Amino acid sequence: MAAELTTTKLNAESHLLLDQPLLRLPHEFARKNFKIVQKHVERENKDVLSALKSTANASLAGQDASKTVASLDNMINRMRGLKRKMETLHSEEKALHQASRKRIQHLQNLYEIPSLADVKYDEWSRVRLNRLLVDYLLRCGYVESARALAREKGIEELVDLEVFVQCHRIEESLRRKSTQECLAWCAEHRPMMKKLDNRLEFELRLQQYIELRRNGQLVEARQHAQKYLTQHAGTYLEEVNRAAGLLAYRPDTQVQEYKKLYSESRWDDLAKLFVNTHHELFSLPARPLLHIALSAGLSALKTPSCHSKHASSTANASSTTTSVCPICSTELNDLARNLPYAHHTKSYVENDPVVLPNGRVYGRDRLLEMSAKVGLDASQVKDPTTSVIYPASEIRKVYIS
Amino acid sequence: METLLEEHEKLSRKGNLSKSVEDVQKTIDLLVKARDSIVANQNSASVTLAKLQNPVKQSFEAINSDLKDVYKGLGNYSKALDKKFRDKPLPTTDYDALSSHPALINRAIAMHLLREGQFSVASTFLTDATNNPPRPELSSGTPKPYASLEVDLGIDSLKSESLRKQFANMYHILHELKNQQNLLPAIAWARENTDALETRGSNLEFELSKLQFVWLFTGGSNPDDARSLLFGQQQALGYARQEFAHFQGRYLREIQQLSGAMAFCPNLAQSPYRRIFHNEDAWDDLANSFTREFCSLLGLSADSPLYIAATAGAIALPTLLKLQTIMKEKRTEWTTQHELPVEIPLPPAYHFHSIFVCPVSKEQTTDENPPMMMPCGHVVAQESLARLSKGSRFKCPYCPSESRPEDSMKLFM
Repeated sequence: MAAELTTTKLNAESHLLLDQPLLRLPHEFARKNFKIVQKHVERENKDVLSALKSTANASLAGQDASKTVASLDNMINRMRGLKRKMETLHSEEKALHQASRKRIQHLQNLYEIPSLADVKYDEWSRVRLNRLLVDYLLRCGYVESARALAREKGIEELVDLEVFVQCHRIEESLRRKSTQECLAWCAEHRPMMKKLDNRLEFELRLQQYIELRRNGQLVEARQHAQKYLTQHAGTYLEEVNRAAGLLAYRPDTQVQEYKKLYSESRWDDLAKLFVNTHHELFSLPARPLLHIALSAGLSALKTPSCHSKHASSTANASSTTTSVCPICSTELNDLARNLPYAHHTKSYVENDPVVLPNGRVYGRDRLLEMSAKVGLDASQVKDPTTSVIYPASEIRKVYIS
Repeated sequence: METLLEEHEKLSRKGNLSKSVEDVQKTIDLLVKARDSIVANQNSASVTLAKLQNPVKQSFEAINSDLKDVYKGLGNYSKALDKKFRDKPLPTTDYDALSSHPALINRAIAMHLLREGQFSVASTFLTDATNNPPRPELSSGTPKPYASLEVDLGIDSLKSESLRKQFANMYHILHELKNQQNLLPAIAWARENTDALETRGSNLEFELSKLQFVWLFTGGSNPDDARSLLFGQQQALGYARQEFAHFQGRYLREIQQLSGAMAFCPNLAQSPYRRIFHNEDAWDDLANSFTREFCSLLGLSADSPLYIAATAGAIALPTLLKLQTIMKEKRTEWTTQHELPVEIPLPPAYHFHSIFVCPVSKEQTTDENPPMMMPCGHVVAQESLARLSKGSRFKCPYCPSESRPEDSMKLFM
């Protein structure tokens, strides 16, 4: 009983391993939102103040009043524009705060559940599974499925559909060999990228350069390199040098290092690099959370019996008294094949185990109950797994320590 | 969690843009006022502009200081988040055996959606997954010995269609049973599968017929109406005559009980048979056992394996994380690739198979090293047995009895 209590106790604090991105993402977006505001304000601050100063000077120097009014109008319009932008960002901010709040409360609910055997935990855990599924579907780019599942389960506020939709759109644009969308994304997120290695933008510019060279636009390629690549020579000297060398090699070159630059697979690499940069920026794990949960769960549940060539005497489909083991069930069986099985230090068998002449071990009660159910009298028992009938006198007690 | 909630409360109350938007409006007001006065009096232009410099500058300063408050609020909330999750890093996925099998994961998800009755989501998912088949990623350290499986076991649209029909049927039967108190579809299903159910030792078919009899006998859908009660009892008798005959072999005693109960007809509630006729859980119990039998006949577990595995994973993760930290500190690696190095404390409901751990070697038994029972009834693993006996007579490590290795018997747990 004591053991049972310790294994069913729910420690919410340590149970939240999978839920960090749930709170991180809206927060990262709130920060991004704020950085955009900051940038706007900074620019208007500088421009409006200097415009104001020069207008004042011009006016002192005897500028026509109508011109002065015109430049004031200009400043007013700019400030109104700023206000509009800030109001939009403010309402986005509200939505993000609202989302964070809902999510904190959702996690808070877990703290009020004492036991893993509680029905409420079951509910909570089902919501979590649906969250993980939506996350997985979005990462695969199955947007419609994700949307449908989130809607059906009413968990729209706990998942981040739009974030992934945008991410997926840019990823696909790269696979379609277009750099535009991704460069725009880089520009939008540049204020946040400083702390991260900004390899993505360099690689995109390099790719543009490669495409120019591929099309034989040597002059344009050189100009492009001067404008976008040489400034990175400090960090990516080797790459910049190789890019310069590319001018001398035609797209059909067999020289390995240049052939690699011309390779089509660079687009896939770019797509992957973008996704990784995106996820890192928004504190999203690189792999689907479902993988993490399942790898751990499959191993924790797996036993040597699950992929044994002999049918297990317990938790198999042929007996009505036990439920089918989830690892043995068709859904997960192949998936769990490569994973390690759980470690146990104690045997775990049914009460009062007995053995049949064929070596199969069952709990005595289950065996007798089952035999009675199939209409045998007390002198006979039926092996629930193999359906062979034995005289009850041949049952032997087995001692499992 | 409370601190986080508080910190967030503070952030959304103080750390928002409303004040800075107000201050932007104030700047606009300043500019508009100056403009209007210049339009009114053109000669004042340079004086007004000179006077305008400082207020505009100050109002920008005010905006910036508003922003600083928001910045501080975000920073504090960031810190609270960091603190909350400091000791809860996302598990690294060095060992991710799943990313090389996206087709298998997709199949598991499709089946999960179907068995949960999410038919429309499932069909959207199948379309999505067929149009954009997943790209398998070979992660380092993940062997992929089942490459051919991927092709064979991808989402086979035909198979999932038949599965969809099966589950649609299951939900239809359950719906009739639970919401309409209509047992007939369930009984029809049980009758179709009578042989399979019987080999499993399931008495579902009889239990369903019995409940149907009880339901008729107690007046069907209008239990309070005296006339329908009388009519129902006649119907029940007719039903019993027609249907119970082929149950007589196995369930004679139960049938006798039911007929015995009829003698108490006017006041069954006070009779010894009360439990049979007034059991409110009977419908739910039967619905559960129907679901279990239905899934079992498909070779599936009654609860969604995906749900159980994901939940078990969440329970296991803290332990695995601790293991990871310790291994990193000590710079060791698992020595046994096929077995987890730590025990994961799962609740009893998550134990499915029997486990035998050899008391001598402390190892779990496997196909290669099965449990062996000595004539005295004690059990050790085969390898331990070989080590103990060295081929000749040996003493059981648990009791005084002696035996030869060939007298031991292989067990199937």
